[in-house]
Formats: sequence, C-alpha cells, structure tokens
Amino acid sequence: MSNPTHDKGEHYLTTPKAEPFLERLIFNNRAIILVLLTILTLFLGYNAVKIQPDASFERMIPLEHPYIVNMLEHRDDLENLGNFVRIAVESKDGDIFSQEYMETLKQITDEVFYLSGVDRSGLKSLWTSNVRWVEVTEQGFQGGTVIPDDYDGSRESLEQLRQNVLRSNEVGRLISDNFKSTIVYAPLYETDPETGEPLDYGTFSRQLEEKIREKYEAQNPNIEIHIVGFAKKVGDLIEGIGSIAWFAGITIVLTTLLLFWYSRSVSGTLVPVFTSIIAVFWQLGTLRLLGYGLDPYSVLVPFLVFAIGISHGVQIVNAMAVEAAKGFDAVTAARLAFRALYIPGMLALISDAFGFLTLFFIEIDVIRDLAVAAGIGVAFVIITNLVLHVLIMSYIGISKGGIRHVQNHGEKQDRKWRLLSNFSHPGVAPISLLIAVIGLGLGLYYKQDLKVGDLDQGAPELRKDSRYNKDNAYIIDNYSTSADVMVVMVKTPVEQCTQYSVLRAMDALQWELANTPGVQSTASLADVSKIVTKALNEGNWNWYAISRNQTIINASIRNAPSGLINTDCSLTPLLVFLEDHKAETLQTAVEVVEEFAQENSNEEHTFLLAAGNAGVEAATNEVISKAKDMMLIFVYGVVSLLCFLTFRSIRAVLCIVVPLGLTSVLCEAIMAVSGIGIKVATLPVIALGVGIGVDYGIYIYSKLEKYLLEGKTLQDAYFETLRSTGKAVVFTGVTLGIGVVTWIFSPIKFQADMGFLLFFMFLWNMIGAIWLLPALARFLLRPERMLEKAREAK
Amino acid sequence: MATSLMRKTLGATCLGLSMACASPAVWAVGDLLETPARPTELAPQSLLNDVAVAGDRIVAAGERGHIIYSDDEGQSWTQAEVPVSVTLTGVDFGTENHGWAVGHSGAVLHSSDSGATWELQLDGIRAAELAIASQEEAIADMEERIEQAPEEQVEDLEWALDDLFFRLENMQADLDIGPVNPFLDVWFENDSHGFVVGAYGMIYRTTDGGASWQDWSQKLDNPQGFHLNAISQIAGGALFIVGEAGQIHVSIDGGETWERRESPYPGSLFGVIGTGRVNEALAFGLRGTLMYSADLGKSWSVVSTGSTATLNDGAAEGDRIILVGNGGAVLTSGNGGDTFREYLRDDREGVMGVVPVSDTNLLLVGEGGVKHADPQGKNLQ
Repeated sequence: MSNPTHDKGEHYLTTPKAEPFLERLIFNNRAIILVLLTILTLFLGYNAVKIQPDASFERMIPLEHPYIVNMLEHRDDLENLGNFVRIAVESKDGDIFSQEYMETLKQITDEVFYLSGVDRSGLKSLWTSNVRWVEVTEQGFQGGTVIPDDYDGSRESLEQLRQNVLRSNEVGRLISDNFKSTIVYAPLYETDPETGEPLDYGTFSRQLEEKIREKYEAQNPNIEIHIVGFAKKVGDLIEGIGSIAWFAGITIVLTTLLLFWYSRSVSGTLVPVFTSIIAVFWQLGTLRLLGYGLDPYSVLVPFLVFAIGISHGVQIVNAMAVEAAKGFDAVTAARLAFRALYIPGMLALISDAFGFLTLFFIEIDVIRDLAVAAGIGVAFVIITNLVLHVLIMSYIGISKGGIRHVQNHGEKQDRKWRLLSNFSHPGVAPISLLIAVIGLGLGLYYKQDLKVGDLDQGAPELRKDSRYNKDNAYIIDNYSTSADVMVVMVKTPVEQCTQYSVLRAMDALQWELANTPGVQSTASLADVSKIVTKALNEGNWNWYAISRNQTIINASIRNAPSGLINTDCSLTPLLVFLEDHKAETLQTAVEVVEEFAQENSNEEHTFLLAAGNAGVEAATNEVISKAKDMMLIFVYGVVSLLCFLTFRSIRAVLCIVVPLGLTSVLCEAIMAVSGIGIKVATLPVIALGVGIGVDYGIYIYSKLEKYLLEGKTLQDAYFETLRSTGKAVVFTGVTLGIGVVTWIFSPIKFQADMGFLLFFMFLWNMIGAIWLLPALARFLLRPERMLEKAREAK
Repeated sequence: MATSLMRKTLGATCLGLSMACASPAVWAVGDLLETPARPTELAPQSLLNDVAVAGDRIVAAGERGHIIYSDDEGQSWTQAEVPVSVTLTGVDFGTENHGWAVGHSGAVLHSSDSGATWELQLDGIRAAELAIASQEEAIADMEERIEQAPEEQVEDLEWALDDLFFRLENMQADLDIGPVNPFLDVWFENDSHGFVVGAYGMIYRTTDGGASWQDWSQKLDNPQGFHLNAISQIAGGALFIVGEAGQIHVSIDGGETWERRESPYPGSLFGVIGTGRVNEALAFGLRGTLMYSADLGKSWSVVSTGSTATLNDGAAEGDRIILVGNGGAVLTSGNGGDTFREYLRDDREGVMGVVPVSDTNLLLVGEGGVKHADPQGKNLQ
C-alpha cells in the first residue's frame, strides 16, 4: 500500500496484474476522449430536449394477449361504447327540483354541448330532448320531454317535472337515486369529424375543469360538480406527468446537498451531479432518436439513471479522496480510483442493465420501453461514470476540504466501522442469520396474501383520494352503475347479430354471469329486446322474454342504442358490470365466459373476450402472473451468473444473492400488507430492486475478498472493507432512495407505489449487504482455501 | 316425450331460421323448453309474474322458469325443480297438491306435490297442432254450412270462412317458427279440470288433469284472436276471462259454453277477480281502469281509482280490496271498492301479483321479485 506506483493488491483471479489495457487507453488520451464526449453530449442533449410526452393507451396493455388482439380487431365496431364523460351536478342543499338548480343545469348542458370533442347528437341531460318519459295508453304510447313544454320554473312546473322524472325510467341512470343530483352525459368523438384531429385529452380535460367545474361551482355555490369518464382520467394522468418535473428538481437539490455533506468538496459534489445529468441527457436523446416518447412509466427512468450515476460516482469520489489523502496528485488518484473500481463498477452496472432487460419477459410495451430506456441509461452511466467522471476529476482533483474531511474523520469513523465489523464475528453472525430466517419466515407468511392486479376501487392509475376517484365514488354511490366493465364481443355472420339464437345464447351467458360472485349486472341486446317486447305489449311484464319470432325481435331492437349493433350487424357486445376490479373478481368472471364460449361458439355466434377496462385488466393480470416467475428466475439467474463469472465462487454468489432474496420476499410481504398488488407498475420494481440492489454486495464483496487474499482474518478484512467502501455503500443506498422517494408524492398512484417499493428495496438491500453479507461470509467463506487458490492461479 | 319434442322444436326452428340451421350446429345452449331452470339464489329477487296459494304454501312463478315456494308466508323461499327455462306467466292450484303453471313457448307445467317439482304437460308445438286441427275442423264445418246455407247468407259466411283461413295461415306460420306464443294465465277447478289461456286467443281445456287437452278457442267469440290475459272464478261459480281490447267472456256452466260481454272500456284488461260476494266481479287493466259488475258481467260500472297505472292483479277479503299494478302502484279499498287510495311504492317497480298474509300485511310479487308490504303496500322493514 505504501508504494502507489506498484500496487500489488489489485488482483482479481481474472484480471491481469499489470496496468489494465482500458486504463492506459483512457488515461493516455484524456483530451481527445473529453472532446469526443463533449460533441456526443451536445448532439444527444439537443435531441433530449425535444423529447415528447407520449401517453398512448395501447402501449400500456399487453398487445399480444388474445383478449387484446380481439379487442383491437373489433375496435371500430365497439367505438364510443366506452368513451364518454358523465358530469354529475349535485345540489348540496335540497334536491334537484328547484328553479336555481334547473337553471344552472341548463347552462351546464349548453356549455357541454359546445365543447369540442362532444358528440352533440348523443348528449343527454334533463334538458335535452332525447330524455323522455313514456306511458302506455289505449292508443299506444304517450310521452314527452322530461322538462315540461311550458316549464317556467314555477312550483307547478317543478311538480310536473318531478312526475315526469318518476315516469322516465332514468332514475339511477341520469337522475341519482336520492334526487340530489343529475348527470350530463356526453359521448365523445375519438377523432373530431369536422377537423379529423384526434381528441386531445389534456385540453378536453382542462376545459371541463375551467369551463364547467370552476365556472359553475363559483356561479352557484349550492352545487358541486363530479366528473368521470376515460377522457377525464387520461387528462388527469397527463397533468400528473407534469408534476414529475418538480420531483426531478427536488431530487437533484437533495442529492447535491447530501453529496456535499458527504464529500465536503465542491468538485466532488458538482462533478458527479454534472456527469449523472449528462447520462440522463444521453439516455433521453437516444430514446428520442429511437423514436420513443415519455410515458408515465419511462418518465421515471431518468431518476434511476441519475441516482445510479450518483451512487457510482460516489465510489469514485470516495476512492479518489482516499488516494489523494495519501498524497497523490489528481491524475494518479484518478488512475488508482479507476483501477480499483472499473471491475466492480462495470460488473454492478452490467448487472443493473441485465436486471432491467429481464423486464422484456413482460409482454406489455410500456414495460419493454422501460427496460430499453433503463438499459440504455445504465449503459451510458458506465461511460459517464467510469470515463467522463474520472477524466474530469483527473483535471480538477478533490479539493483540500474534501481530503481533510477524509483524514479528519478517520479516527471517529474507525470506531464506528469497528463496531459494525462485528457482523462478521463468530458470535454475532449466527444471531444475524437467525434474525434473517425469522424475517424470511414472516415475509413468506405475509406474502401469501399478495394479489395480482389493482386492489382499490375507482381508477387504479390515480390515487384513492384524488378528485377523480372521489367523483367516481360519488357516482357509484348515487347511481346504479359500475365503473368496472368487461365487454364480451359476440361475433356472428354479417346481418345475423340479432337472430334469436344469438340473443338466446347471450341471455344464457348473462344469467350464468349474474349468478357469478362479483358480477353486479349485465346488459346486451337481449335485454333491450325483452324490455321493448314488454313495452310493445302494453307494458305487460308477462311478455318480458325474447320472442322466437324474428319479426318481433327486429321490431324490439329497432331503436336499440347504436353501440349495441355494429354497422353490418356482425358483432354485438355483452357488457358485464363488475363490483370491483380485483384479480379474483376478474378471474371468476373470465372463467365463466371462457367455459361458456368453448361450449357455445359455433357458426352462428362466437364469444370473444374481452374489451372494456375490466377486460384489459383481466388480460394484463394474466400476462403479469405468467411473467412474474419467469422474470424472477431470470433476474436472479443473470445476477448470479455475473457474480459467478467475476468471483468464480458459488460461495461468493450466495453471500451476495441471499440478502437480495430476503429483501425481495420482504418487499412482497410489504406489498401484501399495504394492499399493493402485483401489476404493470410494481412487477418491474422487483427486477429493478434486484438489479440495482446487487451493487452493494458487489462493492462490499470485492473489497472483502481483496483483504482476505491479503491474509487478513474475516473480521479484520471486513473492517478494512467498511473503512474503505462502507461509507460509499451507505451513501449509495441513501442516494438511490432519495432518487425515487419523491415519487411517493406523485398524483399517479402507480408511480407512488413504485417509489415506495423501490425506496424500500434500495435501502433494505444496502442494509442486507452490510449486515447479512458478512454473517453469511462467516459461514460460507473459507479464507485459507481462497488464498491457496489464489496462489495456484499465480 | 323429450326427444320427440326436441326434434319438433329444432325442426320448426330450422324452418324459420333456415340460414342458421344449414349446418348441423349443436345447441349447447339448449332450447328453453328443454333447459331445466337453473338453481339460483336470485330467483326471489327476479321477475315474478304470478303468485298462488296451495293450502298454507305460497307459490310464485316468473322469468327463466323460476318457481319458488314458501311455507312461512314468504319469509324463506325454496326454488322448485322445473324442467323448462321459459318465462312463466301464471300459476294456479286446483287442490292443495295439484297445481299448474303456464308461460312462454306454450309451456304448461304440472305439479302433484304442492309445487316442489314440476313436469311439462303441454308445449307450444303440440298446442299449435291442436289449434290447427280444430281450425281445420271449423273450416270444414263452415264450408259445409255454406253449401247448405240459403243464398242471402252465403256472402257473410264466406267472409267468415276467409277469416278462418286467415287465422289458420297465421297459426301455421307461427308453427313454422316454433313454439312462439305464450300462455298468460291458468285456472284449475280441482285436480282434473282446468283452462289455460294466452296470446292470440289461445285457450285449452283439460278434464283429465292435463293428460289430454282440447282446443277451446272455437267456443269463444274472439274471431280476431285477441290476447286472453286472465281467467278466474268468482263466488257463485261463474268463470271470467278478460283480455285485449276490452274483451270479457263469461261461462256459467263450468266452462262448457262462453258468452261475450260488452265492456264499457275498449282498452286491455289484465285481470279479473270476484269480490267474494255471489256473482260480483271486478275487472281491471290499462291506465287505472277498474270496472264493477254485480250481474255476472252483463252490466258494468266504471270505478274511479284515481290512478293511471296499469293494474295487473288483485285480491279481495270481505270489504277489503287490494289491486296492484305497474309503476309500484298499490290500490287499497276498505269499503268493498267504493273508493280506493293509491300508494306508489318507492322502487316504482311493476307489481304483478298480491297475496294477503297475516296482520293484514301483503306479499307482493313482480319486477323485483318478492316484497313484503304493509296493508297499504309500503315495504316492511
């Protein structure tokens, strides 16, 4: 150690003893490399700035799943079935039968009518002429608009209105069960028929807020407005992505402060932050060049890249400060730091990248995009961290304050590390192992409750207490309607979709579903036919049945809602309203339909799963359940293999990987306990957690092995390890944690879930590496054998 | 029986839907007449169209072949075993043990164990064949009459013959489609004699407990084949049938012969009940219409109910009369029908049947299944 130019210590079983080739390449061409990297930064940075947000619905669903294939194949036939907004106008004091309320409702209806994107012909409210009451008379039907023709706001006309409402069959649909609110129902165009422009959800949602909610709640303090619908939800999500910019700022500031507190060196703070931001620019620029945009998932990757960049940068700063404290100049310190770190650093980063790539097993585009984005990002961190960072530091060097900081704290730190090194003590290690086994047992016990899918009511993408989900809950409570819809597509030959056999089969399936737990209600053309047949027979319930007479069926569905029959009458949807979107609920309903479809799909009618938000979720859940185990096997397989290739010892692999396994189990237990399901957002957490979490183990083990090969006892070797790298490892865990912890405040629920779980995994993996790894080493490693093997290798 | 029915049903259906049956498609979803009612806990909450009393037992019938019975005044219900899944429209017990239920696809079901299990006695195919045979007989009779008739009557009789042919053609067209038409009500005198009535003037009689059926439509003056909606017997033994377009038919000889009565109301009548006093009847239907007759229907007076709801069913106990109808209407009278008070139930669901139970409470059946109500029709907590 005393002779810096000839470092005998740095030998791995796999590495040549001389100055590594890479080190010579980089340090002999410092200026050229820096210039090249600057040019690259300018080019990619230019592209990074121009990257666009991209919240495509299709990328978030498993496109290869047969349900989704079916859904997309018949997308045109199903159009408008699901794309609408419902605006509930609630009277806070009193009921809807007041002049003021009706006046406000009228104005809101008019305002919605003129919003661009609204299909005006389908707009429904008490004030539109398509909302009618009907009565059977001797001559046939008698009816009129629900608002009396001579409505003037007087007591009499309000009383007439009340009568009409009761006769209208709209209670529970357009009028709440308690008569305290009514709905303005606005179907939307996917593409504007006038301009041909696709509906801009962000703008539409903002208009709803400004022109409807804010305006009329201010105008009439006695009303409250609740808005739900796919367009509103997507609008809110787009708003949510915006808040990420704040998180990015907060994260950078926090990390910088922490880094300065850690290094007490301006250059040691700014250079890692600078190079990490450059890695982010490279990553974003490359993504744009590859044609990607930023969706609510991949928008999180820059945080990870930044955090990983910082955490590895810390290792460099730490190593340089230690070397500089020994009296070396900046270039030599940088060289030594590079030499000490390029193997574990590269190994750690490569295993990060492979961890991400295992996400490819999930057949959902956003997750694959996430894998690509994160993989690219980490690959760039290898260059920015091990080349750019080191080179810049070789020019600037660590400031005097930073070096002093390392020297001054030596004594005090040593006492702390000495204490922690007891984790490898023969007396302490078994206790640690026992605690680990108990933790594992508890984890396995609680993780039994782990569920696939989303568990909360309402829109799973948004928080439970978000405005949208509160509105949704209000509408569910006050109207007979469910937000979780699965659509079974019933396909028939052309012009055959209304045949008796088709309606009869749909009715049979509907009754099976009605008898299935978790199914709230169902609806199809068969119901329309029954209701209208009854109505055409003087409203007599004795006629509530599907007629075998096709002429009667045809008459009964003449005015069926257009969404229930496609243009050439070859497809008719069967809507299944579910009580919630828990995985079991979806699974039970799907199984009933699958079984029925198998027995009853023939030339006349084929039953296809599945559209609707619940159909998509059922498909997603299936993909996730299948991918989950594969992904775990591969991520652990890859990480173990990389560790084995580097350290050539199964015992080493166990020391590094077992703490990760414990963290994974505990993470799943925490998910089960806190009601977070395995879903598109949380499945990647496990891969990311393991891929990044292995870094700590690698840094610690590589040092530990080095000191063991120098002939030290386990506890001494571990003490030296902690002394040289412990601080950096702890700091790494904290930086990574800070990188993701801000997501917890995201308005987007899955980002918050990811943030929470990653925060846990990053910190626990760090604790696992410092606490459990040495305990395992006590039982697994045999230093004499290692020394012997090392000698043989020489 | 079951196999022959299936052949007939499928054959008939295939004629109607020749496209669909071109290939030998298997109906894994069976014909409603061959699909036993699915056991379900939802039956007491699903549409029930009629309710009857068999001794201490209450039996109700409704959609999807549901028949449910209760021995504790409707507190708990058991679903009966029913071999069909058609919508049932009427149920009646001739004795405590023997009951009949009718419904769509011309289904007539019989139970000999107070409603616990049921068997199919008649279906729409056989009913239509019976009606066609008797229609052909009527045509033959008419042709004979025309041959023997004096010159001046021939033209009228030929018009009548045309009507008969027209109806025959309709019957045959319907049969080509399958068992299309529903029965709408049933009445049994005892364990052997009874009538079923239904759409397009269908009426059949049995005197052997349903082992054989006779088409009885030729005995009623209903040349246009209007729906016959309800049949019941009033105190004194007279039988009343009411139906579409203000039809009222009365028999005072136990159903052998029927006489058409003039109705002051031209709209549809959906029910008829006795008041409990000899030869007194109440008929009711569309738009709150209620008519009273004390002379076997020869003359009627319209009673103002103050309601505009279609009335479907009623019950009389002394001076107390209860009528139920669509839109949650429950009309009650404490003075033998002189005046009524209307209560509209909160759920506004159609009520199809009513049975008075103890404490002057009511058991209602209808759109939303079984409901327990107070004497005015308000839901009991």
